[in-house]
Amino acid sequence: MAINILVRFNPAKPKAGEEVRVQVVVQHPMEPGTRRDASGKLIPADYINEVNVTMDGQLIAQVKPGPGTSANPLFAFKMKASKAGQLKVTCKDLNGQTGEKTADLTLA
Amino acid sequence: MDRRTFLKASAGAVAGTVLANQLTAALAQGGLEGEDIANLEKGLQQVLGKSFKDLTLSQQVKLVAPTIAESGANVPVEIEASLPADQVKAIHCFCDKNANPLLFTVILNGVLPYYATRVRVAETAPVRAVVETKDGKLLMAAQSVRVTVGGCG
Repeated sequence: MAINILVRFNPAKPKAGEEVRVQVVVQHPMEPGTRRDASGKLIPADYINEVNVTMDGQLIAQVKPGPGTSANPLFAFKMKASKAGQLKVTCKDLNGQTGEKTADLTLA
Repeated sequence: MDRRTFLKASAGAVAGTVLANQLTAALAQGGLEGEDIANLEKGLQQVLGKSFKDLTLSQQVKLVAPTIAESGANVPVEIEASLPADQVKAIHCFCDKNANPLLFTVILNGVLPYYATRVRVAETAPVRAVVETKDGKLLMAAQSVRVTVGGCG
């Protein structure tokens, strides 16, 4: 079952050279492995441990979240919108589940 | 004044001095509320192979986090470094009192030195942003986050 990822640009269509904020939200419970459920048992750790962001194939950011990151995590970056291109976000969690999302950055 | 008012006043004064002492003790160490360097050291060694004394408090790193967190499981943090993008290699974030002091690591390559996310804070402790520069310097900014409902269970 793939992990759901949402990518949003703010502003949606930046002008060339303008700063654009990239917001990536991943749907994932991000269990740290220290929480207990109603019966008192430890919920096993299940969190995303790697997120790669590429722009036109070039790796621009790599996040290594850990048990300290909240559920349904938000990863936000800022970049200069020098040219239009395709942003791709891939993520992987402890159990080997993966998610992938591409989003096109278009200039105003 | 009558006895009840006197007792209330003296109880308040005693509580006030105890609290003030604790606070001044913490502040006297130059420290933030809930500081726990020993636990932080473990995380620093594991991730960076460095110690707390290798970190330099820097005005160039800006950390925005709430002073009081509504929920320890969902604390928004925002880190910005006023350095040129090509000088910043990575951003790390630690929380002194978490079981795993490292909250996350971001390696940047071509994006601006900015990152925002939501983290879990176990109990009232400083959240520290450490920016690793290409020439090996570790710049830090820290802010104490007060937590009522712990984030890690």
